[in-house]
Amino acid sequence: MKRIHLLAAFALLISAGLTSCKKDNPEPNDNSSANQTGTARLNLEHMWGTGNTGFTLNSQLIHPMNGDTLTFTTLKYYISNIRFRKNDGSWYEQPDSYYLVDLSDESSAQISVSGIPTGTYTEMQYTLGVDSARNVSGAQSGALSVSNDMFWSWNSGYIMIKAEGTSPNSSSGSFAYHLGGFSGTNSAVATMSADLSATNLIVSAGHTSEVHMLVNTARLMHTTSVETLNAIHMPGADAKVMADDFHSGFAFDHIHN
Amino acid sequence: MKYICFFAGLALFLACRKEIVKSEVQPLTFEQPAHFPAPHYTFANNTLTDYRFSLGRDLFYEKRLSSDNSVSCANCHAQNHSFADHNVAFSTGVNSSLGTRNAPALINLAWSPSFLWDGGVNHLDVFSFAPITNPLEMHETMQHVVSKLNADSLYRAKFRRAYGTEEVTDQHILQALGQFTAMLVSANSKYDQYVLGETSLTSDELAGLNLFRTNCASCHSEPLFTDHSYRNNGLDSVFTDEGRYHITQNQEDLGKFKVPTLRNVAYTYPYMHDGRFFTLDQVIDHYSEHVLSGGTTESTLLPMHFSDTEREQLKRFLYTLTDYSFLSDYRFSERP
Repeated sequence: MKRIHLLAAFALLISAGLTSCKKDNPEPNDNSSANQTGTARLNLEHMWGTGNTGFTLNSQLIHPMNGDTLTFTTLKYYISNIRFRKNDGSWYEQPDSYYLVDLSDESSAQISVSGIPTGTYTEMQYTLGVDSARNVSGAQSGALSVSNDMFWSWNSGYIMIKAEGTSPNSSSGSFAYHLGGFSGTNSAVATMSADLSATNLIVSAGHTSEVHMLVNTARLMHTTSVETLNAIHMPGADAKVMADDFHSGFAFDHIHN
Repeated sequence: MKYICFFAGLALFLACRKEIVKSEVQPLTFEQPAHFPAPHYTFANNTLTDYRFSLGRDLFYEKRLSSDNSVSCANCHAQNHSFADHNVAFSTGVNSSLGTRNAPALINLAWSPSFLWDGGVNHLDVFSFAPITNPLEMHETMQHVVSKLNADSLYRAKFRRAYGTEEVTDQHILQALGQFTAMLVSANSKYDQYVLGETSLTSDELAGLNLFRTNCASCHSEPLFTDHSYRNNGLDSVFTDEGRYHITQNQEDLGKFKVPTLRNVAYTYPYMHDGRFFTLDQVIDHYSEHVLSGGTTESTLLPMHFSDTEREQLKRFLYTLTDYSFLSDYRFSERP
């Protein structure tokens, strides 16, 4: 008898203990569609000009507009705050959504956004650059770590776009554009929008849909050429012009659901 | 049986508690001086703990932050000089490189909205990134610092205690240093004791305080003795250092520098952004007779023409800003 009491007491305690432990965990999926999620993968396809020329580092490229000969050794930029608008008007905003696209690492041009509630999505928004809040909030981690060489030590703020390379058209033989600035009229941060409604992005459970974007990197030198200005190392009007031009090279292309 | 149930319950309770990260224990408190405004630095995303603070102190005195492991923060920010350099105009970094501006004292940084003489750094938790990577100072990369500290099992243990993960990261290095430097609070000078009604000033000190309030306090405002603004105090008509302009590219900011605090000023010589004055007499003489007006010089700043008596009284008052307990506070001192 005593032993049964003991066991019962143990069982009670264990179940009570487990329940209280578990309380902080999220409820398991109940299989209703509201709790199911899928993934959207952004494929950023970097082009050079509007033809079929792909962008590659460390190879000679001729600028389609000004004819300059350019060899990029570095092209890196931030994309952040990715969010999708459902056909019911609600938004799914990816938490902690910060990515550093580094053209020397092909995998960084594919951005997987998981945990999106299943459904039909008609619009995507994203930020090119890093929002002002993260520029003033102290030391960050991951894509925003200062070790990525995309943060100015002497003038706090992220380098939103970094392009470096060589060119015979530059008086110094090289170019280095470090484009940043997160406040005021010279902010190099832009919120971009892509209308997906032609095909819609269908997010289904456990499935990965693909959003293909084309990035015309030649737009970087749409206004500024390496002949007129071959280096930018701080926020300002010059950085703003170049960042705006770079942003204008982003275009939604198609979806694979 | 009662005991068995009790222990079983206790065991389950402890099993639940195990998830509490160790770094959360041992809270340290930030002492807000009664006569100070609310601080700018709030320890947001970097909760103050004893372990983090002591890790920050270890890093502050750590020479491995520099490329040749020869220079720590404390090399140029010595506690017995109120965390300014050892009475040199420019500090020496690795490879005997000489800096271009005077290393400022580290006092009450938690109240400062920006850092460096030109205000280029906007958060205390990223500040240390500047001297660590500056070629004239520590000339190191964060990547190297991370790998050097990661190779040290003692540091890994300290990072685990402080941040719950033994992997050393640049974020945690910077945050720990931010936390340590935010705690460098000086609020116990004779002036503070006077303001709090705990002591009285001599008649000369009091006369100096009144002179100060009339002539200096519009920029060196009490109780922090800086209003954290950028001003041209009429040192030069041609600027070898552009000052705040370097950050803003605004012509109106040419030759402007952050107003430094005057706390512990007797211990932080030499003075000015380039350390050109070695004595308080020279500083007072500048404001008394040699202010260059025009250009971006503060329009209200005119030569003050102090008498010899007034100069002495001003100095007497400035000496009351010395906080001896801060200069010798063991919490801030290097551990053996």
